Amino acid sequence: MLPKVLNNFFDEMGSISRFGFRFFKEGFVPRYEFREMIRQCYYVGYRSLPLVGLTAFIMGLVITIQSRPTLVEFGAEDWLPKMVSVSLLREITPVITALICAGKIGSGMGAELGSMKVTEQIDAMEVSGTNPFKYLVVTRVFATTLMIPLLAILGDAISLYGAYLGCNIRGVVSWQLYWNQVFETITYGDLIPSVLKTFFFGYAIGVIGCFKGYYSSKGTEGVGQSANSAVVLSSLLIFIIDLLAVQIIDILNLT
Amino acid sequence: MIKDLSRNVKLGIFVFAGTIFFIGVLYMIGSKRNLFSSNILISAKFYNADGLMSGNSVRFAGINIGTVKNVEIINDTTVLVQMVIENKVTTHIKKNSIASIGTDGLMGNKLVNIGSVSAAAETIEEGDELKTFKAISAAEMMQTLSATNENIKIITEDLKQISSKLNKNNSLWNFLADTTLTENLRQTIVSIKLTGDRTAYVAGDLKQLMAGVKEGKGTLGALLMDTSLSKNLSQSVVNIKLVSNDLAIVSGDLSNITKGIKNGEGAVGTLLMDTTFVHNMNKSMENLNTGTKGFSENMEALKHSIFLRKYFKKQAKDKK
Repeated sequence: MLPKVLNNFFDEMGSISRFGFRFFKEGFVPRYEFREMIRQCYYVGYRSLPLVGLTAFIMGLVITIQSRPTLVEFGAEDWLPKMVSVSLLREITPVITALICAGKIGSGMGAELGSMKVTEQIDAMEVSGTNPFKYLVVTRVFATTLMIPLLAILGDAISLYGAYLGCNIRGVVSWQLYWNQVFETITYGDLIPSVLKTFFFGYAIGVIGCFKGYYSSKGTEGVGQSANSAVVLSSLLIFIIDLLAVQIIDILNLT
Repeated sequence: MIKDLSRNVKLGIFVFAGTIFFIGVLYMIGSKRNLFSSNILISAKFYNADGLMSGNSVRFAGINIGTVKNVEIINDTTVLVQMVIENKVTTHIKKNSIASIGTDGLMGNKLVNIGSVSAAAETIEEGDELKTFKAISAAEMMQTLSATNENIKIITEDLKQISSKLNKNNSLWNFLADTTLTENLRQTIVSIKLTGDRTAYVAGDLKQLMAGVKEGKGTLGALLMDTSLSKNLSQSVVNIKLVSNDLAIVSGDLSNITKGIKNGEGAVGTLLMDTTFVHNMNKSMENLNTGTKGFSENMEALKHSIFLRKYFKKQAKDKK
């Protein structure tokens, strides 16, 4: 009935949704794979921190340096910490963190689960009595959902420090004055929604990465495809979630 | 197992750091919004909120002391603004302080300024309502300015007329240019002032005097106020009358005596009135004169006599 492209699109969308719901269905009933989950958390959270930290630091620094000339034009140079901290905290750091993690973790999951699938390890797990969905998918999705927000929060801190250095390249803003201005400006309405949406980012990265790997096919070629499409789709989904989040925040008047 | 443990530790540190930072930021934002310090709620009614929102700063003496909690319309001319203010600064804010809506910088956020008034009052408490001061908006300022301009136009017209009239008139200039006149005026004023001062001084003295008189101090006071004195005085007057009666009798006698003396009656009359007696007296005095001269010669001769020289020498030695 539908054209093939549309049919494929909706098929994929339905499958992903089903996969996502299955996580909730199986994730909250015993037995729990705590050890594996902590191992995944270590990989997702701790091992991504240097990359996320460096990116956040550079973003803070760059945004500050880039914003400066415009503000100088208005004679509002003093507003640099206020403006930069709000834009970093509300938007830039969470999204950049999520994108970096989508690239690093999403592709990793796609490739790892994909190769397990094509080498029939997942089937073997099922035969040996272990629930592969619980052991592989639930642990990973939990890890990303919980670790991405933490990474984003630490990224906020690092990017704000980068912005502090950026403010001091041309102008002079003391350490105390900078933080005073930052906390003067940001509100709970800035921070809480920005942290909440990173949970959804994390969930999306985990679900897409696992889905792409879990249903990988066509041998080694399929593994590469899984990794690739996991990154592309999760990055896209991050932006879509961000768009939804900003509208919900706007409707709830949390600005 | 050991590898697992160290991974757990690293993950723990990671999670701990993230959570601590999150809580730290939450606390910092909250403390900037006075969520954790003890506060009081006060309010003020404005005619125009001027874009004030909840969360805007409240300043006292230029320092942030709280935030606007709520802005709501009460009726068509009144907007109620509720403010949360730190408890520790309430001791400095008086009940008669005035709240006004201002702007942070030239185009910054709106804020409420609380200004103190010099008059004494109690410190504010929970639920107090501050008086407000309507800040001037740019539009109102322009309106006032245009009215002012109209007025200035009229005034300058009048001034122009006055100055042209003044220019035509010479006598006023002479009057104004006369320096001696001003000097005289100055002196007159000084004199008037001096006189005034003195008058005041005199009046003060008089007042004191009158007060003294009232209290019966001094002679006048005694005269006017002392009742025993008046009794004595009337007694004295009676005495004086008696004395004067006696005196009249004495003076009558005296006139009789002097009459006798004039006629040469009695010893005194003879002494004063008899011319031969005076002549005799003159003669006697001349005789006495020659007599004493001879006597002093005799005495000198005695000094040089052999019998008495020794005595006189001794007397001279003792004197030295």
